[in-house]
Parts: sequence; structure tokens; C-alpha cells
Amino acid sequence: MLTQQMQKQKQLLLSWAAIQFSLLLLLQQAFAGWVIAIFALLLLYRLLSVFKAKAGISLKLVNLLAGIIAITFFLQLRQAGVLHFMLQILLLAATARLLALQHLYEARQLVWVHYFLIACCFILHQDMLIALFILLVFAVNLYSHYRLFSPPVSRLNWLQAGRSILIILPLWLAIFLLFPRLPPFWQIPNANIASTGLSDTLDPGSIEQLVQDDSLAFRVEFTDTLPPRQQLYWRARLYEDFDGRRWQVNALRQNASRQRAPDNAAASKDSSLSYRIIAEASQQTGLFALATPVTSSSNVFISPSGLLSSNKPVSQRLSYQVSSSLTPVVLVSEQEQQLNLRVPPGNPHTQQFAYQLKQQYPQSHELVQALAEHFRQQPFYYSLTPPTLGSNSIDAFLFDSRTGFCSHYASASAVILRHAGIAARVVGGYQGGNWHPQQGYLAVRQREAHAWVEYLHNGVWQPFDPTAAVAPDRILDSLDSALPEDERALLDPGWRQLVLLQNLRQQLMHLDYYWSVWVLGFNDNSQRQLWRTLYRHLPAMAYSAAVLFSIIIVVLLYLRLTQSGTDNTPQATKQLYRYLGKALATKPLSLSVSAFLLQCAKRYPAHDAYLKQLTALYEQALYKEDTEALNQLKQLLKCHKAELGRLRRAIKNT
Amino acid sequence: MLTQLHNVEQSLNQVILGKSSQIRLALCCLLAEGHLLLEDLPGMGKTTLAHALANSLGLSYRRVQFTSDLLPGDLVGMNIYDTRSQQFRFQAGPVFSQVLLADEINRASPKTQSALLEAMEEKQVSVDGETRALPTPFFVIATQNPLFHAGTSALPESQLDRFMFRLSLGFPDHQAEHQLLQRDSSTSRLELLTEQLNTEQLRALQQQVPKVAASDALIDYLLALVNSSRHRSDMLPLSPRASKAILRAAKAFALINQRDYVTAADVQQVFPYVAEHRLAPSSDAQESRLSQILLLQTPCPI
Repeated sequence: MLTQQMQKQKQLLLSWAAIQFSLLLLLQQAFAGWVIAIFALLLLYRLLSVFKAKAGISLKLVNLLAGIIAITFFLQLRQAGVLHFMLQILLLAATARLLALQHLYEARQLVWVHYFLIACCFILHQDMLIALFILLVFAVNLYSHYRLFSPPVSRLNWLQAGRSILIILPLWLAIFLLFPRLPPFWQIPNANIASTGLSDTLDPGSIEQLVQDDSLAFRVEFTDTLPPRQQLYWRARLYEDFDGRRWQVNALRQNASRQRAPDNAAASKDSSLSYRIIAEASQQTGLFALATPVTSSSNVFISPSGLLSSNKPVSQRLSYQVSSSLTPVVLVSEQEQQLNLRVPPGNPHTQQFAYQLKQQYPQSHELVQALAEHFRQQPFYYSLTPPTLGSNSIDAFLFDSRTGFCSHYASASAVILRHAGIAARVVGGYQGGNWHPQQGYLAVRQREAHAWVEYLHNGVWQPFDPTAAVAPDRILDSLDSALPEDERALLDPGWRQLVLLQNLRQQLMHLDYYWSVWVLGFNDNSQRQLWRTLYRHLPAMAYSAAVLFSIIIVVLLYLRLTQSGTDNTPQATKQLYRYLGKALATKPLSLSVSAFLLQCAKRYPAHDAYLKQLTALYEQALYKEDTEALNQLKQLLKCHKAELGRLRRAIKNT
Repeated sequence: MLTQLHNVEQSLNQVILGKSSQIRLALCCLLAEGHLLLEDLPGMGKTTLAHALANSLGLSYRRVQFTSDLLPGDLVGMNIYDTRSQQFRFQAGPVFSQVLLADEINRASPKTQSALLEAMEEKQVSVDGETRALPTPFFVIATQNPLFHAGTSALPESQLDRFMFRLSLGFPDHQAEHQLLQRDSSTSRLELLTEQLNTEQLRALQQQVPKVAASDALIDYLLALVNSSRHRSDMLPLSPRASKAILRAAKAFALINQRDYVTAADVQQVFPYVAEHRLAPSSDAQESRLSQILLLQTPCPI
């Protein structure tokens, strides 16, 4: 018995230490390095003491230690933020409790603190796989909770556990669907993670780096059909400042992006396209849309120049609804036009080439056509590994190397157009995407990053993609097919080419998609919609609820009836349980009722006589099936309610 | 009659010191008309207990030392040709007695063992086609050394089942042994035992045992207890014969405790001694680990 108890205690201590380690791992974003180190040291110490079968540290020492650590945390409050401070204190409390644990019954609160901390993990993580891991930690905690109260040798009855899970499942679903989605009570601090995706500057190398990244940028669900690939230009950034080497987002633009565009929903409604975008966390505010976004869901803004942004950096997966008109973006102001006519000095060849074109083709769209033709007919190459260019980078590219990536072509085209007196800018974003017909969504990865040009023509910004002229495959098919064989390998490291792994990744991505659509995407909006649908079908719902309810009642009644046939708890026992149920609940499972009563008689001498009388009558009534004794027992129970009450309380309190 | 039985118990306690619970269980076994298996090291008082029981109950007592060359005929007796009367005459073996002490039963060959066990079950023996009834009451106390001792052949599971109880006397405590050493000789004490209860009275008591009341709820508890052994891989399942034995033993125990009804506590008291050797034949009689597990794990709702 004793060794089994020890075994159980060891098991539980180990599982709690494991839970706290996992919590530390899950919450590490919220903790500074030295905080993690402190927790890891404390937990390691506990683990060592478990393996060496030593008892925990004395309570006094732990209190002192925890006090000191808590004060240090408090001093760092300003740096950590309130939420992180709270998480630290909670984890500290749990760890300290574990360190000082001498007896298992001291761990009852510990398990509850663990539950709370496990729930807190969802503040920092929404990823499906991590959610699975959190669920696992939760299960371990639940099992340890069960073991805390179970006898040392008992085994978990899996059938029964499964049954209780099945029973609780509808309630769980109902709470998920119907519980009001409250806004967070506190500001969730931004984690210090590097932002991903397009940045505010576009230099010749930046997109090349991005296309080697296979991670997901965002996913799109179209309300109707998928538009053709040539139209899938996801606009994300406008680069309007060129310093001869790199393009940058204009400082004015950055501030102006918060403005809402004039609501011109009425315009060209016929050619509008409605879709939903689920953007991955990027730690940036910029979002994505096709052509001219007209309306969007309330969590994102549309700037006058047709860019979408959220009001704070996207630190969690964000889903928003957009409808776009498939017409080019309209010029906002005169100032915008002026902004896009500035050319830095240098690149004399380019300048000359632009003047020539301008003389040949006075019309701007003719000039653009001619430029595309030029790219198509001259030996221009599309490559991920272009040679380095000198100080006059555009000149060197156009007339010397003639090898480049989309950003080179876009940049050169914009410069040529500006020299020719046409306002032009480089647009950064994504082109195309991977269509998954079964799941019905378009996955756009970082490798689909692209840059193209918009030029002003008749008051609208016409898009022009010089890359389409050089490498039409890039637009119509994918990046892979546009690149020569040897460069394709650059995109695909060896392991990624394994079919099985590739498949697995795909499946995981799909699962992740459903997770984000059905679980994370279920916000108060969808909830309201659910309520509305429920309301509409109210009569039908009421009928079915009534039917279901009556069926349940009938089944319960039936069970009750059949059970009363087999329920052979003797009358005498029933009587005792009626009056002493709560006290009898503390009876050891294997002890008989009369033996328990006699034990109580020994422990509470004040009730000795009464209990002995009760036991004698109970034994007579139960074991001899003596009806006379049963009646006497009933009398005895009925007439001494006050004494029974005192007895109940006395037994319950020990 | 119960008072006489308690007198017997008291005088037995005078002879075997500090073993009152085992003595009560042995008497209980006698009342329940079961046979008793004593498992102990040599010199722990097994023989003394058997002898004292026979003496104080006024029963005829024989002792057979089992050895590996003991033959069934040596036990049950045989027909001998009498040259004077020119006839076969049956020479009764030691089995024709009311209390038979089968010492070190696990030393005999399986053939001899099964002859005894057959006699125990049938309460009669057949020699040369002639069936002879054994005297009543017929009470076998077999002793055996723990199995690891050399030169023993273990009783098979099916035959262990014939013994209602398996007890172990165990070492006496300090005080009892001190008292034991102060006395001159225990055999003289054994002689002093007088018949406190005659055979008829014993028969009457034995016949009272089945009349002790056992309620439905109690039988349900007993069945739950027995059933819990039947779905496990770490022990042998308890047979219906075992459950019968448990109930009968519990009834006898209740009777000794001057009650005319069986309680759950009675069942719990006798259970380890009736069940353990059926759950695990090779287990240690002193420990009764498996039956304790069953007792602990079976909820007792009454």
C-alpha cells in the first residue's frame, strides 16, 4: 500500500513538472530570457528531488524564494506589461507550490491553476498544431486530477471516460457556438517577432529572398468563381520614392493609409468580385486586395489608393471580407501624380531610351505596349540570380546584363515611364496562388511575391506587368515554370521534393485552413448570423426541441422503470443514505456500512450510544430482513434529526 | 451449546498462546464442515492445534506423517487375509477417524494425496470394490511446508479447492512466546484438556450453520466480490464452489459470534482465508495479497 502511494505521488509529481515545463515552453513569448531561466532552474531542481526521492523544500524557504522572485517580476512590470506579469506570477505560484509539495492533498489548487494557465496559452497561440499540443497538456492535467483522488491501484475506466466525453460534447459545442464573444479585457502586447512578407522598401534583392520562403502569406475564398490567373494581382504596397537604387513607400502614404476611401460602391457594381481573405500573422498592418477594393468588413480599412490595412499589426490570423471592382485604381490627387513623376539623377542611357520612345509613341498606352514589345524581343532573361549592378543600376540592367527578376523589370519600367513623362510607380504584392479545388480556396505563399508597375492613363492607374512580357509563364502558370531548370532547385530544398512529405504538408495546410475558417474565424459576426438563422427557424427549432425533450424524458422514465426492477439496494440502506448520505460518502469504498458506523461511534464518543443503536437496528433490518427492525430504524432516524445533523457535520469535517 | 463452544475456544487459547483469531477461524472451519490446510514452517504448533482440537471436542484423533513412499493403502486401510478364519478381513487405515492430521501433505506422492482428497470429498472410501463410510464428523487438518522446501510436490489447484480454509499460524508475539517458555511442557497441558463438547452437540451446531440468515443484499455483495476475480489476468477466477464455501464459512463465523445472520463484515473476515489459496495456489498464506486487493477494490454498498 505504502509503496503504491509513493509510486502514485512520484508519477503525479513528474506529470505536474512536465505540465509546467510545457507551459513554460508555450508561454515563452511572454517571458524574458532570465525569467525562463529561473523557472527552468526551479523545475529542474524539483525533478532532481523527485528522482532522488527527496521531499520538497520546506515551505518557509519556498515562500522566501517566491517572494524574492515575485518582487523582481514586479520591478520589471513596466517592461513586461501587465498581462505578461500576471502570467509570470501565476506560473510562479504553480511552480512554488510544486516545490513545496509534501502531501498530495496540497495539490488540489495546483491542478486548478494549471487549468487556468493552460487556457491562457490560447492568448499567445492559435495555431492548430499548437492547439493540439495544448489539448494534450490539458488531458495530462485532467488525468492527474483524476489520479489525485483515485485509490492508488485503480485504473481509469476508458469506456466510462469515453462515455462522459460523449455526454459533455453537445454542451461543449453549444458553449463554443453560443457563448458571447467578449472583447479582450486587456491589451494583448505585441510579441517581439520579426515581421514577415513585403517590407516598406523594395531593393533589387528583397523579392528574391522572399520567393525562397515557402510559408503561407494568406488564403482566399471566392464567393463566386475563381477569376483567371492574369487578374490575380494582389496589391499590398505602393513604392513611389526611388533613390536610384531602392524603392520606398512614401512617408505621406504611410500616414494616409488610415483614411477610409469615399464610398463608391455604386460604381461599376457589375464587374465586382467578392472574396474572403485569411491573412497569416505578419506583424505588419498592410493587407491584400485585388484591383480596387470597394467594400470590406469592419476590421480593415481601405485607403484612397486602394490598399487595405488593419488598425494594428496582424499578430494573429486575420480574416476579412472584401469586394473589389475589377477596374484600375483612380487617381486621388494632383499631388499623387506629381509624386510619381520624380526621377533621381543618373542612368543617362535609360533617359535617352525613354526620350526616344516618347518621340516614337506620344500616346502613353502605345509607349507601354512598345516597352513590353522591347522586353519581349530583345534578349532579356528572367532569373533568380542576377549579376550585381553598378551605380547606374537601371542602365546596367537594361543595356548590359539584361537578366533580372520581377523587381528589376518593374523598377526599370517605372523609371523609363517617368523619364518619358508618364506618372508611374512600382506595386508590391503577390501574383497568382495555388488553387485547391477540393477545399475551394487559393493559397498564396510568400514565394508568390511579385512586383509590377502602375502608370497613369486617363486619370486611372493602369497596371502593367513587364515580367509578363519577359516570362509569361510566371503569370500564367507559376514561378517554377518560368525559371530555368538549375534555378528551380534553389526554390526547392531536397526534402521538399519528397512526395510523401509534400503530401503531408498539403494535408496539414488544408486542415489548418478549416481550423482557421471554422474555429478561429467564428467571431461575433458569425455568431450573430447563427442567432439570426436560429431565430428564423424558431418554430421548427421549438418543435424539434420539444420532440427531443419528450423522447429524452420517455427514455429516462423507461430506464428508471427498468432500473427500479434491478435496483436492489435494500430498504434499510436506502433509509440510511437518505439521512446520512453525505457522511456515508466519506466511507471507504470497501468498508461495510455497519463497520463504518461503528468506527464513527469510536471516533465521536458523543454519538456512541445512538450510533450503536442505529447499527444494531440496521444490521437486523438489512441482514435478517426484519421488517419490524426496519420500522424501528425509520423511527430512530426520523426522531433524531438534530443529532444526525451534528453527526453529518462532524463526519464531513474530518 | 454456543457457550460450550466458547469454552472450547478458551481452553484452546490456553494451549496455543496468542493465536486467538486463528483458533476461531479453525473452529469456524470445523463448524462449516470444511477441511483445514495449515501452511507453516515446522515447529509452529500445527500438530498441537490439531491435537488440542480433537481432545477438547472429544473426537477420535489419528495422525499420519506423509512421506514420499506412503501408499494409498497405508492411508485408507486394506483387506488382509486372516489365516485363522480363512477370510479377508478389512484392516481400517488411519483415515477412519474423526480428526485426521495429515502432516506435511505435500511430501506424499500425488497418488496418495488424491486418495486422501477423494476421501475428504466423498466422506467414504472404496477398498476392493467395497465402499465404507467414514465416521462423522470427519475433519481433516492437513499441514504443509511452504513450497520452496526440498522434496515436496505441490497440491494441484483442483485439490487445494477441497480445503475450505487455509491458515497460517505464524510466529507468536514476544509475550506469548515468553509465557510459552516459562511453562514446563505443553504436552502436559494438552493432556489436561477435557471434553467440553460431545459429538452430538457438535453435530447440532454444524446443523445450525446453514440456518444462519443471509440476506439478498449480502449475497449480492458476496457475488460482486467473487465476480471481481473473474475478469483479471493476475489471479485464478473463483469458482461457484468457492462462493459456496465463502458463504458457509461466513455463516459459521456469524454463528461463533452469536449472531443468526451474516454481515458483510463476516464475509470480509473469512474471505482471505477461504479465497487466497484458490486465487493463487503458490501464494504465501500469511500475506493473502490478492484477496486483500479484491476486498479493497470491491465497493461494499451495504
